[in-house]
Amino acid sequence: MFGRNKRNARIASVAGGYGLRLDDRERVLIRQILGDMRALLMLDAGDPRVRRLYPSAYADDAAKEDEYRRLTHEELRSARLANVDTVEASIDASTLTEEQLTAWMQAINSLRLVLGTLLDINDDDQELSFDPDDPEARTQALYGYLGGLLDEIVDAQLEALER
Amino acid sequence: MSAAPAEVKLPETDDDQAADRPWIVIVWNDPINLMSYVVLVFQKLFGYSREKATELMLDVHHKGRAVVSSGTREKAELDVFRLHEHGLWATMRQD
Repeated sequence: MFGRNKRNARIASVAGGYGLRLDDRERVLIRQILGDMRALLMLDAGDPRVRRLYPSAYADDAAKEDEYRRLTHEELRSARLANVDTVEASIDASTLTEEQLTAWMQAINSLRLVLGTLLDINDDDQELSFDPDDPEARTQALYGYLGGLLDEIVDAQLEALER
Repeated sequence: MSAAPAEVKLPETDDDQAADRPWIVIVWNDPINLMSYVVLVFQKLFGYSREKATELMLDVHHKGRAVVSSGTREKAELDVFRLHEHGLWATMRQD
């Protein structure tokens, strides 16, 4: 699962942090989607598009669940907005600290959860057929792109944990 | 700085035995989170080894869910919150 060729990885664990090798078009793309991310985070937690960002803690106790939501939803939202801010502030960096890379990972994962919800991904092995004329083509492409980038961020952190 | 308060033993007012049973935290399978990401989150949040984290991830993947931690209600709720922060589908219940 983790043994892929790392020579071309965009994120590599280096002394004191992580090297980030993205080309300019990727940085432009990521900067653009941060705005979308902020808008999504401002939606009500009950909005179906962002439901995956606010899962239930108590599946069979409505009173405890209400209390959990009241106590945590704002914190979940503000933590994710802080991650978006961190990515934006380090978008042109060539190295990231552990903390910054974690914010990147969290921000990308949150966005993937929303895009996956919009694309109605509901099967582990679902193959996304790519048709440029499909109105969802851009969302699909973005979902695929972010999955690849996230995979490399995770691999770099897993590798660092083994040291 | 005030002195440490004397330890006060509160009388047991809750005669419900259920209150002593531990809470368990369950992570459910979902089709969006990457398998490698789930392993990393288990290692980072709970300090599990790669082997243990991978085993739990595979349980989630193949059996649909796995118990990833347990303890007092407060501890379980904090664990659930941290899992939610990481976008994992976690719930808790009393064992």
